[in-house]
Amino acid sequence: MIQITKKLTGKKYWRSLDQFYQTTEFQNWINREFPSEAAEMLDEPSRRNILKLMGASFALGGLTACRRPIENILPFSKNVEGFIHGKPLYYNTVMSLGGQAVGLSVETNEFRPTKIEGNPAHPWSLGSTKSYHQASVLSLYDDSRGVGVIGDGKASNWDAFTAYVKNLQGQLGNGAGLRFLSEPIHSPSFAAVKRHAMTRFPGAKWVEYSAVQTSATAHPTVPRIAFDKAAVVVALDSDFLGLDDTSVLAVKEFSRGRKITDEANPVMNRLYAVEPQFTVTGAAADHRFRLKASEIPNFATALLGALQAQSSPLQVLGQNNASKALSAIAKDLLANRGKAVVVTGPRQSAAVHQIVHQINQALGAVGPIVTYLPATTDQTRPQLDAMKELAGEMAAGQVNTLVMLGWNPVFTAPADLSFEANLKKVANTIYLAQDADETAAVSKWVVPAAHYLESWGDAVAVDGTASIQQPTIQPLWGGRTPAEIAALVSGYKDQHAYDIVRNHWLPIAGGEKGWKKALHDGLIRNATGAATTATASTTPTFHTSAPAPTPASGFEVIFAPSWSLFDGRFANNGWLQELPDPMTKLTWDNAAFISPASATKLGVIGGDVISIERNGRKLEAAVMIQPGQADDTILLPVGYGRAKVGAIGEGTGFNAYSIRTTDGFGYGTGFNVSKTGRTYPLARTQEFEYQEEPHLVNFQEVAVRPILREGTLDQYKKNPHFAEQMVEHPPLRSLYGDYDYSKGQQWAMTIDLNSCIGCNACMVACQAENNIGVVGKEQVARGREMHWIRIDRYYSGAIEEPQAVTAPVTCMQCETAPCENVCPVAATVHSPEGLNDMVYNRCVGTRYCSNNCPYKVRRFNFLNWHSNEHEVTRMVYNPEVTVRMRGVMEKCTYCVQRIQNAKIAAKAENRRWLKDGEVNVACAQACPSDCITFGNVNDPESRVAKTKLSPRNYAMLGELNTKPRTTYLAKLRNPNPELVSAAPAAEAHHG
Amino acid sequence: MALIFPKSTDKYVRLGALALAVAALGGGALAMYVGLPSVIMTGYQPQQPVPYSHKLHVGDLGMDCYYCHYTADKSDHAAVPATEVCMNCHTRVKPTSPRLEKVRDSYNTGKPVEWVRVHRVPDFVFFNHQAHVTAGVSCVSCHGRVDQMVEVKQVQPLNMAFCLDCHRNPAPNIRPIDQVTNLAWKPNGDPAAIGREIIKARGINPPENCSGCHR
Repeated sequence: MIQITKKLTGKKYWRSLDQFYQTTEFQNWINREFPSEAAEMLDEPSRRNILKLMGASFALGGLTACRRPIENILPFSKNVEGFIHGKPLYYNTVMSLGGQAVGLSVETNEFRPTKIEGNPAHPWSLGSTKSYHQASVLSLYDDSRGVGVIGDGKASNWDAFTAYVKNLQGQLGNGAGLRFLSEPIHSPSFAAVKRHAMTRFPGAKWVEYSAVQTSATAHPTVPRIAFDKAAVVVALDSDFLGLDDTSVLAVKEFSRGRKITDEANPVMNRLYAVEPQFTVTGAAADHRFRLKASEIPNFATALLGALQAQSSPLQVLGQNNASKALSAIAKDLLANRGKAVVVTGPRQSAAVHQIVHQINQALGAVGPIVTYLPATTDQTRPQLDAMKELAGEMAAGQVNTLVMLGWNPVFTAPADLSFEANLKKVANTIYLAQDADETAAVSKWVVPAAHYLESWGDAVAVDGTASIQQPTIQPLWGGRTPAEIAALVSGYKDQHAYDIVRNHWLPIAGGEKGWKKALHDGLIRNATGAATTATASTTPTFHTSAPAPTPASGFEVIFAPSWSLFDGRFANNGWLQELPDPMTKLTWDNAAFISPASATKLGVIGGDVISIERNGRKLEAAVMIQPGQADDTILLPVGYGRAKVGAIGEGTGFNAYSIRTTDGFGYGTGFNVSKTGRTYPLARTQEFEYQEEPHLVNFQEVAVRPILREGTLDQYKKNPHFAEQMVEHPPLRSLYGDYDYSKGQQWAMTIDLNSCIGCNACMVACQAENNIGVVGKEQVARGREMHWIRIDRYYSGAIEEPQAVTAPVTCMQCETAPCENVCPVAATVHSPEGLNDMVYNRCVGTRYCSNNCPYKVRRFNFLNWHSNEHEVTRMVYNPEVTVRMRGVMEKCTYCVQRIQNAKIAAKAENRRWLKDGEVNVACAQACPSDCITFGNVNDPESRVAKTKLSPRNYAMLGELNTKPRTTYLAKLRNPNPELVSAAPAAEAHHG
Repeated sequence: MALIFPKSTDKYVRLGALALAVAALGGGALAMYVGLPSVIMTGYQPQQPVPYSHKLHVGDLGMDCYYCHYTADKSDHAAVPATEVCMNCHTRVKPTSPRLEKVRDSYNTGKPVEWVRVHRVPDFVFFNHQAHVTAGVSCVSCHGRVDQMVEVKQVQPLNMAFCLDCHRNPAPNIRPIDQVTNLAWKPNGDPAAIGREIIKARGINPPENCSGCHR
């Protein structure tokens, strides 16, 4: 870790503070093939150890292999319709998370769901997904879900639970002491059960609560912003490309305005981000300004004033770069009236949302760009009011039965409600549990919840599109759905999820045929064949009861969902735990993220534990320094620090909920922060895979080799080929003869840096498709993580207010691959279709190939990562891909299994060439911004061949004559000319 | 670094090395012979739970391979048939035969018949029946004259050299698609010449690179 008081040295791009300050740790790091200790034996050599290993080798090399093992083939007794052994089946379904329903298409192999794709027909997916959707399939096979039915702390069964509920129904009377607590309901059939329960028990109340705020938290009407129609977007503390929205639509639409479709006459939208934390939206922005969350309301007011040409609006603002830029932003917005929009995020109060609505009215955006959709839940009260009332009633002993149908309220409820203590005053508590979590530990009856891939349900997307959630497997641990429990408690006419859902939709879909079509299509069309949608309006309503926190001295704490765990529900999901945060690159933990200046002020460095305290509530958390964050602000992603969780999530991170209260739910002010003197190890992937940069060899600043190339739209208009020309190199000639790749299908990829937002969806998609192992925190700290595709995030500019750029990096499938000529056993060789094949069964693990790879995209199995997996977890494997053993090198294959299967299918139809789009790689398929294009470059009509003709096309490190098949389209930003000349700060630290 | 083993162990190491060398010479010769794929792989003939005779069904009664192995031209796997397929006939033909007891049990209980696998390639090999059958490679090329086998036996080594021989020179094993399941097919003329014509006409081009089979 680094001392941040050293003198600045500067150069164009840097990945971390250690690199920025050129610490010795960093120099040691990049001079190694793999990071420190990655290749070393963990134990000291000793006589005892050597004899032990020798003994083991003799035992293993014994004569056990002489007899061929008996292997059985177990065919069905009776055939299953439509099933062909070896061919996957796809089912359309829907996943709802954080108030968003995203239509999905689930691949099942031998009746095991193994891979999630987006449903191209669903308007909130359009074929893409986010990392949560991709990883949700692993949660299905999480063995910690098998909690069983528990009554009064003892193992029980569903029959006993049903008898208990029947007995309870008699005692409930009109339900005056009955309360239901669920997540916001976006399921029409579940809502019908809820309405029945409220009629059956008129005295009962139903509270809907979600720890992750959405834009519906401030609005009963949900803003729908058509980003593809906006030429200028201003995001005020809004992470609309990232965590504000679990659907992919905003990314899809925004990136459409970001892509250069007409190379001759290029047009791009412009994004300003004003935000307290460094979000992916900020990274994608053309201009990003940091501003404390509590200053956003003032900024919004000033912006409205500037647009309405009121006098001196800037007086309310302090001196910061955002305020200095305000008039330029206002001018730009006014110049694009009708094509400009301002958005704000769920963390901001309803008052700010109201101001933003006024701004949009002033800009003429309401109607053409912004419309308001009716909420898909029927909860009309602000959720925190309802939660406060519930906690008060529980404390007063007015609640005798609480049915908890949402995820883990004891963990996620605001700390000032003392939910756990109040729960003990409730005589009958029923909890539908995903696993043995904090709420299950203190509930009287715990019943297992079914995963969405194993149960019937339905969900409505924000625009009203309804989809049926159809199961792809029997419940693995006998779980049931929230609707089923509510139906049981309230005595609803249908008791099984299938009947509840089917009987609700059968009349709407138009009978059996319509129902079958709804299941097939993944969305419900009404009797006339149109998809069900809601009517948009231009008049929003706002919740006004929750005011913004009052600004106070001390630190501000901002709460955000976690990129990995969401609200904590994915804590036992290894894929997500190991997924680095897009900006901080932290894995397996959260941290208290602070700005470099705040760190200096507190006298702490990364890894130091600080204490964050307000009103007697205290959290101790490790610090990580995040460039670009607002000063005196601590970012705490929620969901970590689970007290009761499965083995994977145990001991990860710090519980931000413990200091999150109802008066500081989005962000809280007035926190006291002090240093504790302790430290905590944090595992980042930040410095890893650092690519060879010759200018660092003698630690002098020599010419910079641009790995990621970016320019401005103006620069591009003047010289479209600027990216190619950024590197001067001698003519590229090979010592060996060139192979003729002009014939047949030649696979290639382009990655458009203009639209990549660094959201990680590709990383999880690749992990799911290719059976990539999870290595754990300790191994990540040693640099042994296995992701075949990674997202590089580079900063540039000043450390306090840098710009960031993200780029997916994976095996480039070099035509003259440096890895191939150093392999002593020819385990990595070239295929005639241009693939750099990796042959696991030949590999002896010398790791020469990785040593010689300039892109550092090869991964070595230092240990057998799959050895400790539960047999149920192994059901997630893709049967088309080998599960690699210890001692074997692996890397991206361009999803060769998909290519081969598509080719076999085409050859069976007597076609020799695949059609463009007939085969796609997992990363490109998942990508919400469509930045990855894959295909046959020898087909001039293919999309990849066309993108390769772009003048922005360049080969990363192409001057090494590796001839990579994966090339990049240089990133363009579209800065406001007025701000570029006024504030050249971003370019000030050139080397 | 300090010595891990005392110097006195050197003597034992030398003696051990000599003993190993002698054992290696004798053992090596033996191991090389029994390790040959043609020795170790061919001839495997496990006993099946039901005495199903391919000779009777295919050779004598003339059933087509596809009747039971109906996904061989559609999928990686050539489908070992569901019990239901047996019972299509055996509800009428020999419905009470004691040799079919396990089949009837399976049909009635829903539990599978536990057939023993004969032909297998390692896990890192992705063999695809569809690709071969639709290209005109006959069953007989890998499985032999199953129509003459009472109990199925592996007749080919199915090792990588066996696969590559054909991938490099497919012509002798390519035949018209409608003759794929005719195990006794004897063409008029040179089979390789017929194969070459089909290869030319259909552009058959078996992969010889690693990712064709390993991934």
